[in-house]
Amino acid sequence: MKAVPLKILLGMVLTLLIPAAYAAETGYTYKATDLKDNPFIDATTVATLPEKTNVEILTRQGAWMQIKTPDARQQGWVRMLSVKLGSQDQKPQSSGSLLSALGVGSRSKPATNSTVTTGVRGFSEEDLAKAKPNPAEVEKMKGFSVTKEEAAKLAESGKLAAIPLPYFDENGKPLKEKK
Amino acid sequence: MSALRLALAGCIAAFVLAGCKAGSGGFEIKNVDFTNVVNSAKNLREVKEPEEIQIGQGMTETLLGARPLLDDPELQRYVNDIGVWVALQSDRPNLPWHFGVNDSDYINAFATPGGFIIVTKGMMKQLRNEAELAGVLGHEIAHVNQKHHLKALRTTALVNLLGEGVSASTDSKHAQLVKALSGPTKDLYARGLDKSDEFEADRIGVIFATRAGYDPYGLPAVLTTLASADPKDSYLALLYKTHPLPQARLDKLAPGLTTLDSIKAPQNAARFQQYTKKLRVAAQ
Repeated sequence: MKAVPLKILLGMVLTLLIPAAYAAETGYTYKATDLKDNPFIDATTVATLPEKTNVEILTRQGAWMQIKTPDARQQGWVRMLSVKLGSQDQKPQSSGSLLSALGVGSRSKPATNSTVTTGVRGFSEEDLAKAKPNPAEVEKMKGFSVTKEEAAKLAESGKLAAIPLPYFDENGKPLKEKK
Repeated sequence: MSALRLALAGCIAAFVLAGCKAGSGGFEIKNVDFTNVVNSAKNLREVKEPEEIQIGQGMTETLLGARPLLDDPELQRYVNDIGVWVALQSDRPNLPWHFGVNDSDYINAFATPGGFIIVTKGMMKQLRNEAELAGVLGHEIAHVNQKHHLKALRTTALVNLLGEGVSASTDSKHAQLVKALSGPTKDLYARGLDKSDEFEADRIGVIFATRAGYDPYGLPAVLTTLASADPKDSYLALLYKTHPLPQARLDKLAPGLTTLDSIKAPQNAARFQQYTKKLRVAAQ
């Protein structure tokens, strides 16, 4: 038996070690879109990706997705709203495992069809119709309440800074008044 | 409302139907069921905040009756922390906001009046980071901010019940309210709100999450995830029945959303993944 070169072996081992949660999400452009070298509007356009270009999504930042084409020839940033997730060759994803089907956290149990199987904990129209009021659960829910100060503390540790911002209308125009 | 104003309102309403003429002893109204007119006048009165909270709590009892909370206190507190922080950016920061994750595999989230918000475990599993959670919570907080569900309920006889003192905080009165609310609650959450309310909640929800310091594209990212799903999938059936399609929501949101493009803010993926770790392990 021929010895497997160390580099390849190492590569295989490393691939196995990468957690599934970090597998790339896939998608495709659903309209022609500019590929930028940085995630902002006046960044340099390095290429224009035609409609239905398959992409691997590396990360997201604001309005932008960092992507590369499957052949890795092109890499850069495109607008999130120009990309549809999933594969254009396959049927839409079953939602029991949307993210895992998209390549994120693929440890979730995949739902393979749209039939509700035994053991699924539903909140279907039927479950709602049969519901009996459960006051004890509301009391339990209240038991998990936090104060404004506690919430602000978690926000601070998450480096979240509140900013003032007006509402906007259907056309994206800022509104002066409170809603 | 004074008796005279009621009578006047009744007269105006009745005029269209039957005509209304002034007699020596006041108003004489023909062929009109005056009780109905009085009831509708009552229905139009403003619901006071304590009543709104009472109504919302009653509705939440029914929603949690369909599926109870997930047994994960750490996650429940975390979702409350994020939820309250986002709600503080609304016009109603002083409501007693309560958030909960229910033990359902279905993908959905619900708000009831007065600040009760439920997210399904199925929805939590579709989220990548805290900015996406803040976006979903922001959308639900916007429903409460705009009193969408309360307005949808006001056409029913519920406010009459309140008028008869059901809002009084005795247990039997509350039970009576919950019983009366149960049917309308089931109808409302199976039927959904007006599409325009959902689009508005998207616009406002994005603003709340962004005011809270998050990446503005959290909710849009969730909508792109949902847009990749099979609409016939049972896990999404109720969400799809009660909301406009995700792509339509993204299209409607786009003009305002793009005005926020220069904002660079955190998504807090690592913290979110940490708190939701059990959800993914449990699914193995």
